[in-house]
Amino acid sequence: MLKKSLLALCLSAAVTCTAQAAAVSDEVIQSSFFPYMNGMPSYPGLSAGMTINQSNVDQFKEVLDPGLYMFIKDGATEIKVGETTDFGLHQSYIDATRQYSGDVSLGDGYGELSKTVAGRPFPQEPSMDDPRAGEKLAWNYKYGYNWGDSATISPFYWTMRDMGSGKMERTIKFNFNFLNFTHRTQQAPFPEVTPNPSELFRGIYVKVLEPFDVKNTQLLIHRFEDDTKVDNAYLYLGFQRRVRRLSSGQTTDAFLGTDVMIEDFEGYNGRISDMKWVYKGTRNMLMPFYNHNDMVLDSETHQDEDGYQVVAFSGKGGCFPNITWQLRKVYEVESIPQDENHPISKRTHFMDAQTFTIPRTVVYDRKGDMWKNWIIGQAHPDHHLPVNKGTGVSIDDAFSMIDIQAQHCTTGQFKGIVDPERSPVDIFTVQNMRASGN
Amino acid sequence: MSKTITTTSTRLAVAVSAALSTGLGSSAVAAAETTWAGFVENATYHRKDVGISKFRNTGQAEFETKFDSDSFRSLRLNGVLRGTYDGVYDLNDGEFGKDAQQDYLGADWHSSDLSSPTILSAGVPFPCDNDPTLCGNLDGYMDQDENDAKFPDFNDRLDFIRELYLSADKELSNGDVLSFRLGKQQVVWGKTDLFRVLDVINPVDYSRHNIYDELEDIRIPQWMLTAEWRMGPNQVLDDSNLSLVWNFDKFRPSNLGTCGQSYKMLDAGCFFSSRLGPWPIIHDVEEPEWSLANTQLGAKWEGVYGDATFSVNALTYRQQLPSLHFRYNPAFNPANPVAPGNTPFLEDGVFDIEFPRVNLLGGAIDYYSMDMDAVWRVELAYTEGEELPRDLDGHKETDMLRYVIGLDKNLVIPQLGTSSAFLISGQLFGEHILDHEADMPNDEDNWIATGLFKGWYMNNRLSPQIIAAHDFAAEATVLAPSVSWTPDNHWMFNLGLNVKFGGDQKFPWSVAGGAPVYEPLARFTNGPIGVANQEDEIQFTIRYSF
Repeated sequence: MLKKSLLALCLSAAVTCTAQAAAVSDEVIQSSFFPYMNGMPSYPGLSAGMTINQSNVDQFKEVLDPGLYMFIKDGATEIKVGETTDFGLHQSYIDATRQYSGDVSLGDGYGELSKTVAGRPFPQEPSMDDPRAGEKLAWNYKYGYNWGDSATISPFYWTMRDMGSGKMERTIKFNFNFLNFTHRTQQAPFPEVTPNPSELFRGIYVKVLEPFDVKNTQLLIHRFEDDTKVDNAYLYLGFQRRVRRLSSGQTTDAFLGTDVMIEDFEGYNGRISDMKWVYKGTRNMLMPFYNHNDMVLDSETHQDEDGYQVVAFSGKGGCFPNITWQLRKVYEVESIPQDENHPISKRTHFMDAQTFTIPRTVVYDRKGDMWKNWIIGQAHPDHHLPVNKGTGVSIDDAFSMIDIQAQHCTTGQFKGIVDPERSPVDIFTVQNMRASGN
Repeated sequence: MSKTITTTSTRLAVAVSAALSTGLGSSAVAAAETTWAGFVENATYHRKDVGISKFRNTGQAEFETKFDSDSFRSLRLNGVLRGTYDGVYDLNDGEFGKDAQQDYLGADWHSSDLSSPTILSAGVPFPCDNDPTLCGNLDGYMDQDENDAKFPDFNDRLDFIRELYLSADKELSNGDVLSFRLGKQQVVWGKTDLFRVLDVINPVDYSRHNIYDELEDIRIPQWMLTAEWRMGPNQVLDDSNLSLVWNFDKFRPSNLGTCGQSYKMLDAGCFFSSRLGPWPIIHDVEEPEWSLANTQLGAKWEGVYGDATFSVNALTYRQQLPSLHFRYNPAFNPANPVAPGNTPFLEDGVFDIEFPRVNLLGGAIDYYSMDMDAVWRVELAYTEGEELPRDLDGHKETDMLRYVIGLDKNLVIPQLGTSSAFLISGQLFGEHILDHEADMPNDEDNWIATGLFKGWYMNNRLSPQIIAAHDFAAEATVLAPSVSWTPDNHWMFNLGLNVKFGGDQKFPWSVAGGAPVYEPLARFTNGPIGVANQEDEIQFTIRYSF
């Protein structure tokens, strides 16, 4: 508690604290947050505006992850290449990294980290010689600027599709809210919301709006600063009108029948300590980053007074977002469940080096066969809704989780809004779930 | 998909908006958005050796209007409208309805014995269609006629308006939230399935399908005002909330089902419409009139502390199940209480029905065990003022202790062909009668165990489950396997079985010379599972949601 108080004081008296914490060098900061300052990556034959399809995919195999390569090779989809663009995070997050990450260190065990305040814990380049490099990258993701300090996805359309027939089986309409209780840099209060007796790190609140049979279903996840502690998860079922606690078994379950586990949210939504993290290398790869307003959008699924439209889908079964992909610096990291009863054997994550989002993940089943492919399209905040401009948040904007074995997918169409007014602290409470249900 | 109507044209919404604007002075209130959703449904059940036992057709519409308000952070009007027609009374009128006369009392759940028909006559089906005297005696409770049973939502209590309430959230300067909800509503306490321990604010309509329908569909909504002070986290608790509920509706007991209906919990409806010799068993129903003193009031404090969520509950309410009292002796002379035959009550086996005042104190806690990766639930309710039936002395007021221990576990079982986790849930309900008497048909301690095993296949569109419950005192068991298929956003099909065993307990009735007999008191011993032991059914439901 004493250390926590000192750290809180640090944020309000930055000059004093700068002398106590080893500041991160400008070179490291520049390299970590501005990987393209010295030029954009390139690959022979690859240029913006071109299309990669069955006929030329082998030429670009090195810059495609194995899942995407397979889909293009099989003719399930083709992708358009866009210009590589800078997705600069908010300056407050960069400043916090500079100020507080100099003396962050891993503990002895998985999921243990010295006390951090805010910012990217390990901005240094990972090294293949570092046996715990993967774990450090996982921490960078966990304490990343993913949705900023808080954000809303409202509405959020999840559609379950038969990949073979293209039939849309069910569409679930959600609202999602995210809030960081700690590690806050841009939205007051800094660096944490108080009181916070259980030392929560993050809250995720989900409410189902449609269809009728699951309407008013609500999910609340509380993640703790202490990564060794299992999330508290609560479920409100509309027809029961009461809040139930969830056991963690349900976080690896098909969420409301979709192809997505709760553990898959945002790329990975579990404890660092649940996985063994292995850094596999740094690559330039084609990743789903784009300007939302420049895409061909879906004019049917969603209309509103803002004139906002969601990303359209096409390809086999309608499982692939109509977006452009750009060549970006990526860290390849494997996460291997510590629990032998976990339904997967490993995930291969492709973490974007600049934003530390996880736009691509390939999931393998217990036998080691490729099972699912997870695409999370990232939209630049300055080319999205006006409210998002200048937030420095890489906006999750479209997703597809494709179950290769079942030939089935769940697609997601977002309206992401970075606005603290929409995610007040009290909606991340059990009481709010009960009060918001009918 | 529900329909979103961005409009101010909904008359009710406009009226509410205008009323709120008036009430709030210069504060602006405008109806901004109304969403509608609902379903139509047919539930057809077939009972072994009886035929169709339910042909229920339901239409339900739900709306929500959100208002833009300068004064409240959230202001909305919700409503649920429901209309039901149960065609069983037209399709199987030999078994159910006003002409479905039983051979003897309890013919639906036991063989004939000494007590039936020689002492008590068979119940009269729908007495208000057949017997004006019985109908008059039952005035106010269990007095539906056949038409009421066919169209149970259309009555003088306007049950077709299932819910209609206005909710408002006001944020205080310190970040706390005050919340109010006024109107016809359900208020749910507790955390149990199938049986209720703390969830007793709303009475229940068991005539719809005994204990087996979702409580959301069978709670009888009441006109209530709820107020909540949502305090959020503090230095100790992660969340805390204090709520008050005032049920100012005219008291309404639970509906056990009138004689002649297909679901009559404890067969009480037929017992109440039977006769002892020439005299109706029920002389009068003393249903509390509306008065401020007869309203019901509750308070709950709940919170989250670490891995535990808890609540402390207090409620003063009316017993929702009938208590049978010896009827008052109109010739009683209090000036001469020792005179032979001069007793305040006539102990002649003819009863008045009363609904005594009950005070409840209880609480609930659930706790996530990391080691077990499972959730424990415990719920407790202590009441004073409840009345239970007796053989020799009519009834007795007694304190009661009810509790439940539950365990929920989600488990992936790959051998069953799905990567989705199965929900495994067990509950043990206990009931302890603190002032138990030997002539009570209820055991001093009894337990009911329930189990649920539910799985999901085909992206949750196919969901098999089995529910089991066992009443230890009744030695009665129910098994209810079912499978639900939801092919898309609109259609849902459910096929199920509901099979019971046991329910053969007898009670040594003093009127029968102490011989163990079924009627009338063994119905309490056998409980809702045992008394329904002849109600094995195959059940099919089809629903279209919009």
